Amino acid sequence: MNTSFLLFALLNPLFALLAAPLYMALIRKVKAYAQGRRGPSLFQVYYDLRKLLQKEAVYSPTSSWIMRFTPYLNLSTLLVCSLFVPLVFVPEPAGGIGNIIVFLYLLALERFFTALGGLDAGSAFGGMGSSRSMSLAAVIEPTMVVAFAALAFVLKSLNLHQMFALNAGTILPISPTLVLVSISLFIILIVETGRLPVDNPATHLELTMINEAMILEQTGTNLALLELAHALKQFLLMGILINTILPVGLSTEIDAGKIAVSAFLFLLKAGLLAIIIGLFESALAKMRLFRLPAFYVMAFFFSALTILIEVFA
Amino acid sequence: MLEALVYGAIAALISGTVLPLLYRSKNTRKTSFGLSLLSSILLLGFAGALLYTGKEPVFPPIRYLPGLDFTLVADRLSAGFILLIAAVVPGVSIYSVEYVEHAKSEAGKNLQTALTNLFILAMLMVVLAGNMVIFLIFWEIMSLSSLLLVLHDYSSEENKKAGFFYFVMTNISTAFLFVGFISLFRLTGSADFGPLEYSASELALPFLSLFIGFGVKAGLVPFHKWLPYAHPAAPSSVSALMSGVMLKVAVYGFLRFLLSVFTPELWWGVLIITAGSLSALFGVIYALKENDIKRLLAYSSIENIGIIFTGIGLYVIFKVEGLESLALLSLAGACFHAFNHALFKSLLFLCAGSIVHATGTRKIEAFGGLVKTMPATTALFMIGSVSIAALPPTNGFAGELLLYQAFFQSFAVTDPLLTVFLITALSSFALTGALAAALFVKLFGITCLALPRSEKSRLAEEVQKPMLIGPAVPAALCILAGLFSKQLLSFAGWEIEFPDLLLLGLLLGLIYAALFLIIRSKETSPARISETWGCGIPTLAPHMEYSSAGFSEPLVMIFKNIYRTKIVHKAEYHDKQESLFKNGNVEIRLLRFFEEYLYIPPARAIESFSKYVSSLQNGKLDSYILYAFLAVIVLIIATGGFV
Amino acid sequence: MIDPLFLEGIIKVLFVFVLISAGLIISTRNLSSALTTYTIQSFLLAAVSFLLYLIDGKGQLLLLACLTLASKVILIPYFVSRIEEKIKIGRDLHFAYLEPTPSLLLSIGLILLSYTFLSRVFEGLPLSKLFFFGAVIGLSLTLMGMLVMFSRKKVVTKALGYLSMENGVLMFGLFVTELPFIIEVLIILDLIILVLLTTILAVGMDSSIEEYRQKFRELQIWTGVESR
Repeated sequence: MNTSFLLFALLNPLFALLAAPLYMALIRKVKAYAQGRRGPSLFQVYYDLRKLLQKEAVYSPTSSWIMRFTPYLNLSTLLVCSLFVPLVFVPEPAGGIGNIIVFLYLLALERFFTALGGLDAGSAFGGMGSSRSMSLAAVIEPTMVVAFAALAFVLKSLNLHQMFALNAGTILPISPTLVLVSISLFIILIVETGRLPVDNPATHLELTMINEAMILEQTGTNLALLELAHALKQFLLMGILINTILPVGLSTEIDAGKIAVSAFLFLLKAGLLAIIIGLFESALAKMRLFRLPAFYVMAFFFSALTILIEVFA
Repeated sequence: MLEALVYGAIAALISGTVLPLLYRSKNTRKTSFGLSLLSSILLLGFAGALLYTGKEPVFPPIRYLPGLDFTLVADRLSAGFILLIAAVVPGVSIYSVEYVEHAKSEAGKNLQTALTNLFILAMLMVVLAGNMVIFLIFWEIMSLSSLLLVLHDYSSEENKKAGFFYFVMTNISTAFLFVGFISLFRLTGSADFGPLEYSASELALPFLSLFIGFGVKAGLVPFHKWLPYAHPAAPSSVSALMSGVMLKVAVYGFLRFLLSVFTPELWWGVLIITAGSLSALFGVIYALKENDIKRLLAYSSIENIGIIFTGIGLYVIFKVEGLESLALLSLAGACFHAFNHALFKSLLFLCAGSIVHATGTRKIEAFGGLVKTMPATTALFMIGSVSIAALPPTNGFAGELLLYQAFFQSFAVTDPLLTVFLITALSSFALTGALAAALFVKLFGITCLALPRSEKSRLAEEVQKPMLIGPAVPAALCILAGLFSKQLLSFAGWEIEFPDLLLLGLLLGLIYAALFLIIRSKETSPARISETWGCGIPTLAPHMEYSSAGFSEPLVMIFKNIYRTKIVHKAEYHDKQESLFKNGNVEIRLLRFFEEYLYIPPARAIESFSKYVSSLQNGKLDSYILYAFLAVIVLIIATGGFV
Repeated sequence: MIDPLFLEGIIKVLFVFVLISAGLIISTRNLSSALTTYTIQSFLLAAVSFLLYLIDGKGQLLLLACLTLASKVILIPYFVSRIEEKIKIGRDLHFAYLEPTPSLLLSIGLILLSYTFLSRVFEGLPLSKLFFFGAVIGLSLTLMGMLVMFSRKKVVTKALGYLSMENGVLMFGLFVTELPFIIEVLIILDLIILVLLTTILAVGMDSSIEEYRQKFRELQIWTGVESR
């Protein structure tokens, strides 16, 4: 443990936690504009969270400690995850924090408990959500692992901090292959955060929802924690993508000015990415559930090719 | 000094075997399990000391036949697997104290106790065996004692079939081992485990036969079919030992030959990884469809054995490619995963045993709501599920993390085709991991959560103390081995770059606690209890919940080519034109691919051959003398050099 | 002057996109998006040959880029889109032998196959890694085009498969054989004729000449508006 890392451990999660809900709202706003509406305010998600935090939780008599345990676990997992993705500056690595595989499996931990939470209340919707979410997660996993392996290979480290330290300071990514990796990462971002064409985050139509179905029984404070965890997950995945494709401005040293610039630039870049995601979502319709594996295979084809190119040529 | 610990453990296990055969009483059985517990503590000390100091003890050989010594050998590899035995046995013995009392007859209880001790002893001796003959002798004792345990309830037809299946498969395994040993013996003239220097073509036969021999016992696809039969039939404590330890003894045997006898070739590695990946994938895919809790766990064992073999295959490939540090990493991964699997699988089998005992059924669809009726067992089951789904910071994750690290760095391999092979293996490995997570969401969610799906499950009662303390031991070890994985690895002498899971676990725990306290202190209104929302239905009923089959349906659809489901229609009609429907049924049948294409044809062939042979045995004295006469003539011709 | 290493990096990225476009042609069910994909693929090829011109400085390559742009990005897609409009079939949902998902996985196998094959063939030849890989992509593109041809039922898709196959040949030529310019021109002429033939096939092979005229008139192919 060194001071650089301690400072990072304070700043990075705080930054992520504060900024993450903004981008949920921004994507909604973009989608609303694309549909010719004005959409809710950019701070709507913050208002929602504040309201939910003040409300009492309602539990089903069927449910057990899993339901009470899951929201806290999910948010704490994601907060630990936020130590893995450097957003404000890249610290010196410490104690294996930043290991890309650990990051992947922390996301799996979150998914595992969300799915159990879905089954806990005994509602058929929850079961459906868990079943679909776990099935689809299983099919996307090879793509995810291969894409991250490609990232690790190109940036020559298993540690996200070291990877981005290598990539930081340049305007464009250090290798053109990273462009390809970024496309894979974009697909993963879409899939993991349950956006169109995989899952529709805006729906409460029972036969189409996946993520929403699992948290249908969650209420009040617990729901707020889960929503926050979800926003955080999206923000962190966006962070990985941005640091890969557009690392410009990411600071590698502790300097108040540089950190501020780094954070500010990151907010701008994330805004740009959120607009792209919003437009992407507006342009697509939801896919049929059993058409998705073919889509994932296409994504897998893509990330496998990336490695093939890097190895062969 | 160290040797004394081993002798003590052996003595304890022998007396644990003999005692229950002499006196039939509950106290004898308790003493007997106490003795196996004692032996495991002794072994723990032995293996720990050996791993830490690296000083190998010397066992004086006992000569019982000229030229063949009864030798014991313990090096770091055996120490690792002794540690594994010592980690699993305590939980199983404590559990068995109570569990064995549920057997039907008094004699059966004592026999089960004695055989369990014998089984543990045999596995220990296989790991300690100093040459191939000793290895084979105790290998057979191990197989037979476990066979008798599988057959403990021989009255049921299903168990008889399972026992027979197991018997045949285990003999096939031994037969292949025999072939391997004999061909090695022919090359060297010695039965010791020593490095060989022979050309690759000469070593191909021994390697392949040993691979198949150990593969059958370990449950590699396509030799895996005995596992899903034997495990449901065996008592749960024995399943825990079989799945937790016996399969690992087969892994040990394979590693023993791979590391200290052979010099591996590249294609061996490719073969091992292919077999491993296929086992892992098929294991978990079949497990997803399974509705019998113990059979599901058996399939999941196949999956984990596949992962271990993937690690071993990686070791071989990196070794051949000259990447020493990666080879070490994968070997450590394989061994550590073997150790972890022993822990969490024994934990899961013990919990499954409790659940089956409390509900009287093995059907997952009949469980549900156990989190309310059996809270302690459920909590232990949870730890096992999280661990086997390889989620941080448990030990299951630590093992897979090692293998992932090896995979991610494998692009240092220069041969592009090999790289492609490794990417394929990596993808299959990742798919397996994610499917395993889905599997255990299903198992835990359907078994323990929501409303009870049957009367039996609603009336289930928590099991007695020993049956909770037993699984609590591996559960605690699962968490500890995960948190201290880095320390454990460096204790065992593997200096590997590895993330500190203790730090991760602490961070998770602290953040969780902080979050919990902050939210709770700010909480204004207390929580309310209200019905689950169900589109306006008045009360939720069990049959409205997602079922086990329903949960895995999307994956079954996605992998329909692997399941090869057959839809069979049967219908009767009142009239010839088939328009007035009388009755009928439609069934969706899972084509048991391996059984129908791989097992049954040779079985049929052997059956018809044996019929032919038995026709020779007509019971007439004259014809037997004729056979003897013919045999003598043939012998004379063969030895006389006429041919 | 731009750094050639950087250009090579860009070409590598384009390779992946070329393969992805081939993958999309294999898996898409929508005819118009298949056509768009083909157009993009041809455009990528033109871009590759332009980048090669920047590295090598051979005028032929520039000419080839322009020719590809004119014929395969503009002319042929225009023709095919006309056909698609006329035959009023929006989607090709029928597959023979292979569904899209397995054929994608098979294509990865095909790429490997061409890699191994070519690495044997070119053993000892002084070919740079980039050029060798270009050849691999070319060959696999050809094979994937063939895969489209046998796994699709509709004639238009088959034709697109053939066109994508020819793109593979062009790619192969670009990187290895340095096809004489004249042959490349001839091939493109061939392609245009092929598209014309496809129009005939798409309209119906079994019809007699009279019926053909009838159909052409109905569908307003070539004869245009004035025949009304």
